[in-house]
Amino acid sequence: MAELLIKNGIVFDPINGVKGEKMDICIKDGKIVESVSSEAKVIDASGCIVMPGGVDAHTHIAGGKVNAGRLLRPEDGRKGLEPRTSVCRACSGYSVPNTFATGYRYAKMGYTFLMEPAMPPLKARHMHEELMDTPIVDKAGMPLLDNNWMTLQYVKSGDIEKLAAYIAWMINATKGYGVKIVNPGGTEAWGWRKNCGLEDPVPYFDVTPAEIIKALAEANERLSLPHSIHLHANRLGQPGNYETTLKTYDLVKDIKPSRDRQVMHATHVQFHSYGGTKWADFESKADEIAKYVNRHEHITIDLGAVMLGDTTTMTADGPMEYNLYLLTGRKWTNCDVELETGAGITPFLYSGKVPVNTIQWAIGIELALLVEDPWKVVLTTDHPNGGPFITYPILISLLMSRKRREEVMKEVHSVINQRAVLPTIERELDWYEIAIMTRGTPAKILGLHEHGKGHLGIGADADVAIYEISPEETDAGRIQKALLSAKYTIKGGEVVVKDGEVVAAPEGRTFYVDVRYEDEEVWKEMLGDLERMFKEYYTVSLANYPVQDHYVPKPYVIKAGAAE
Amino acid sequence: MQTITLEIREKVFEGVAKVPVELDGVTPDALCGKSADEIKEMRVWWGNRQEKLGDLFEVSVEGNAEKPDDVKIVCKGDFSVVKRVGEGMSAGEMIVEGNVGMHCGAMMSGGRIVVKGNAGCWAGREMRGGELIIEGDADDYLGAAYRGEMTGMTGGRIVVKGNAGDYVGYLCGGGEIIVEGNVGILAGLGMKGGRIVINGDAEAPGGEMTGGTLIVKGSIKDMLPSFRFESEEEIEGVKLKKYAGDLAMGKKAKGALYAP
Amino acid sequence: MPTITDVVCPLCGCLCDNISVEVEDNAVKKVSGACAVGRAKLLGHESRIRSPMIKEGGEFRECSYEEAIRRAAEILAAARRPLLYGWSSTVCEAHKVGILLAEVLGGVIDNTASVCHGPTVQAVQGVGLPTCTLGEVKNRADLIIYWGANPVEAHGNHMRRYSYISKGWFRPGGKKDRKLVVVDVRETRTAKMADLFIKVEPNKDYLVLAALRAIVNGFADVIPDEVGGVPKEKLVELAEMMKKAQFGIIFFGMGLTQSRYKHNNIEQAISLVRDLYAFTKFAIMPMRGHYNVTGFNQVCTWQTGFPFAVDFARGYAWYNPGETAANDVLSRKECDAALIVASDPAAHFPAESVKYLAKIPLVVIDPYPNLTTEIADVVIPSAISGIEAEGTAYRMDKVPLRLKKLVDSEFMTDEEILERILDEVLKIKGLR
Repeated sequence: MAELLIKNGIVFDPINGVKGEKMDICIKDGKIVESVSSEAKVIDASGCIVMPGGVDAHTHIAGGKVNAGRLLRPEDGRKGLEPRTSVCRACSGYSVPNTFATGYRYAKMGYTFLMEPAMPPLKARHMHEELMDTPIVDKAGMPLLDNNWMTLQYVKSGDIEKLAAYIAWMINATKGYGVKIVNPGGTEAWGWRKNCGLEDPVPYFDVTPAEIIKALAEANERLSLPHSIHLHANRLGQPGNYETTLKTYDLVKDIKPSRDRQVMHATHVQFHSYGGTKWADFESKADEIAKYVNRHEHITIDLGAVMLGDTTTMTADGPMEYNLYLLTGRKWTNCDVELETGAGITPFLYSGKVPVNTIQWAIGIELALLVEDPWKVVLTTDHPNGGPFITYPILISLLMSRKRREEVMKEVHSVINQRAVLPTIERELDWYEIAIMTRGTPAKILGLHEHGKGHLGIGADADVAIYEISPEETDAGRIQKALLSAKYTIKGGEVVVKDGEVVAAPEGRTFYVDVRYEDEEVWKEMLGDLERMFKEYYTVSLANYPVQDHYVPKPYVIKAGAAE
Repeated sequence: MQTITLEIREKVFEGVAKVPVELDGVTPDALCGKSADEIKEMRVWWGNRQEKLGDLFEVSVEGNAEKPDDVKIVCKGDFSVVKRVGEGMSAGEMIVEGNVGMHCGAMMSGGRIVVKGNAGCWAGREMRGGELIIEGDADDYLGAAYRGEMTGMTGGRIVVKGNAGDYVGYLCGGGEIIVEGNVGILAGLGMKGGRIVINGDAEAPGGEMTGGTLIVKGSIKDMLPSFRFESEEEIEGVKLKKYAGDLAMGKKAKGALYAP
Repeated sequence: MPTITDVVCPLCGCLCDNISVEVEDNAVKKVSGACAVGRAKLLGHESRIRSPMIKEGGEFRECSYEEAIRRAAEILAAARRPLLYGWSSTVCEAHKVGILLAEVLGGVIDNTASVCHGPTVQAVQGVGLPTCTLGEVKNRADLIIYWGANPVEAHGNHMRRYSYISKGWFRPGGKKDRKLVVVDVRETRTAKMADLFIKVEPNKDYLVLAALRAIVNGFADVIPDEVGGVPKEKLVELAEMMKKAQFGIIFFGMGLTQSRYKHNNIEQAISLVRDLYAFTKFAIMPMRGHYNVTGFNQVCTWQTGFPFAVDFARGYAWYNPGETAANDVLSRKECDAALIVASDPAAHFPAESVKYLAKIPLVVIDPYPNLTTEIADVVIPSAISGIEAEGTAYRMDKVPLRLKKLVDSEFMTDEEILERILDEVLKIKGLR
């Protein structure tokens, strides 16, 4: 592969401590190298910011639920129509883009790695089929493992070893990346149209969400997986849920991480930082959440920020989506998945005229600004739940410009002055902090930095974003423009975006974890339990369940547990 | 005043297939002040290829105009294979002398379209303003929403002198539709605002409506069981029964259906 | 004889995956676990197209794959509005090539959903779909409703594997723990098994569903004594059964999607299920026919944004059933060439549409001769997916499974044939 030399850019590479230094980046055979020959193609990055390719640690881009969202919304599909080009397939959609658009549009923003955070294991094959059709970017998916009947039974019997063995089997069978938890217990309860608070027993299974979370965290560390548990806490979206959120974080504070990382990644925390007792006295508790995160080292968060406008909400948290449907009366899809999980989808308009939406908008931004250490924060909108991923440049400009925030605050509902913290916050993030939240932190919390992602050190994947903007620039409009259309995006050493246009669309790779559980006795017993579950209760056979290699044509395998 | 005449060429009808020509972008807004030569050079879609407008239509221009309000486009010949006539227009006038294909006047926000013959499906789809007069019949989805949308027509006025097909005013949120003749199934389906008047017969009108006013003066086949009789009223000289519904939609149902 | 276990049956939307077959001399000799129709397909006694063929002077002559593929590509590349239709009895890998081909050609691509469960998709786009996978029904459901569907005859194993007769975690007694309701216009074999059978006058389902919704939503008082041939008491009884169920499901078939009020029947049925969430847990699911009709809708949705009836004339996807579905472009004579894959529209479409299909250049890819191959200009035989070729299919509840290759075939797969046609089209268009 050709050599590339990126000259004279201002480099932000937080994992390597590079903080806006003018330096050259050398690329050979898809990797960052010390030096290149005089044959190398030169990219002049003078006056540009150079960063590692962006890493999105939580974005709903592929699988049964996302596709149900597309199918549900032809009116969203027609919003993003783009004709086929000599390089690109036809594109559609705004909040639920087709897979091709997802790859191209992320690449245009300089992103090169995406984590699909909610794969129903029974439909893992579907997610992988869509990931295969998501061009340019590398990606991975996390199986949902918290409402599974096998999990609930092992939690009930307190058998962390068998739980770990089961998790290992499932991660391998689904070619998945880590342990995703969504409304533990609540999604199973939704099978009966019920829900669960943190200490409520799950109907018929006699375990509580708190017990599930602790057991999964222990099993996750028992296997020494690259990522910690990835948690969507109970009571998402409910007024007053911040207390549940804080209790949830506290559950795992004494569990020792098996790697140099957090024990729990709490996702889309904006949706979990609500005060008040009902919608009428709904208020921000971002300050309380941030205070906790600032004082503890076992937890990292991503924002799940809300950007004002129309979007499609989708989650494995079935009861939450039903409640949202009751609020709007718009269309609503639900799909419960046998023995495992569920999904709900409904369109939603976040309006600056609505007090609750205005406060939600504020909370996402507040969290990013109130958590002192950017190494604990990942920038997300929980695409498409808080807003489509293509609104990231808007979010970043708000974090970087107090002036822009004040302009918006003048336009939205005045409730923001009473029930949000944002008006009092002066902090403006700089490019280094943005680079941490969009590259360094997501790569580190996922354990991807050890596999060449999220940084530009020697040997790293040559995934590079070059934005045509000065590090001194503070104008929100210019920031947005530069971030939406990268001057260059380089993926695996190949220029894929030039001047904001996709110029090459190679296939990306799918990352998955190969984890072994070593105690053969326990493994055998777990397999016996599993065989019974398939024979008696699943509607597919055990032999047909695991995802065949065919569905991961470009794999990158990370070994963990006894396989390491 | 600028009058532009588009006469469809025989070429469009050659061969076995009737591949439709799509005339979006050829509105008074776009043609205002253009010469015949300029108009002939404009591109329109004919199947999967773009052609010069002048290759598919004979174009003549009389007079000139400074604003779209003063532009009149006259469509001559069989336009039943021409789709999207007047789509998105905001001003001026379009006269179709015969039949017209699908999506005539779709998303129009102003101006006036007169179709002397019949109109294909989705005439006046998602209309926001202006006037669409169809002197013949209208096919299905007159003044309807696009698939998946919450709301269809929100303003303007559609008049059909003949009959109309199924789903007249689907998801209507505002504006007015008047059909002199009969309609097919589910006129006013899911409507929540605006006013639909059907002088002829209808089948299962008002299904899933939650608002707006739907008046049927002819006879009704398959009157839905989920409406509540409220009172008798005289509307435009006709004695009608007023029903509230559609109660299938529960408590939010605030629609008014007037039926014989 | 070597036995292959866990075979996925490539017949209907049930995709039963517990089939065992014994293979000898490159032929399936014995099948166990399948229903009668599935077994017949797996045993493969149907006659096959022997060779690629081109029609000349009204007569077919056999030719090479190369020649047939080149001719097919010429026909499609020349067309101003080609239609690419079928897809429901082949695997997703073929769908992907088909969609790319449609995009390159600027054609209209559609699958058989547009004449079976297309209305279901349109209904979902109106109101959504509270649904589940089949195992949820097996393990939880205590009330099972088949509406306009007759699984005893159309989906042989459906009740035994997934619903009424199956045993599940919370329903260990199988049918003893469940109630079965059938709503139909005639007393089918399924109806004969039911605890409650409700006979609806033909084409009145929409009215009956509207009445049920009004009752569930607290307006029983407005409902007349009889709706669509059903006495009000029976409707009230059914509404009560639904409200009191712990987990209910409505399975609906073409009796509901293809009768009067089509997609609005489905919108009402879905809305009824949604309304029932005020009281209990409920779900609804279409009984999909062809084994991979669901798969095409899935692939088409993630690749184009829309599930079927996609028009690529302008290079991007324009979706509008009623305008862009196969029968729409055929009945209005819009398409000027067609490619039919794994389907027999000549047997199922209105006579006028079939007459028109016979008039335009027509390419057919199929393992079996049928009415459509008879009127074709180019016929290309293919291997049978799920027997002679592997690939992905989606069950009616959108669970994807990998179909196995059981025996070798002398024929190319659908995917290979389509890739070769695509390659030729790109050459003709100067893109390769």
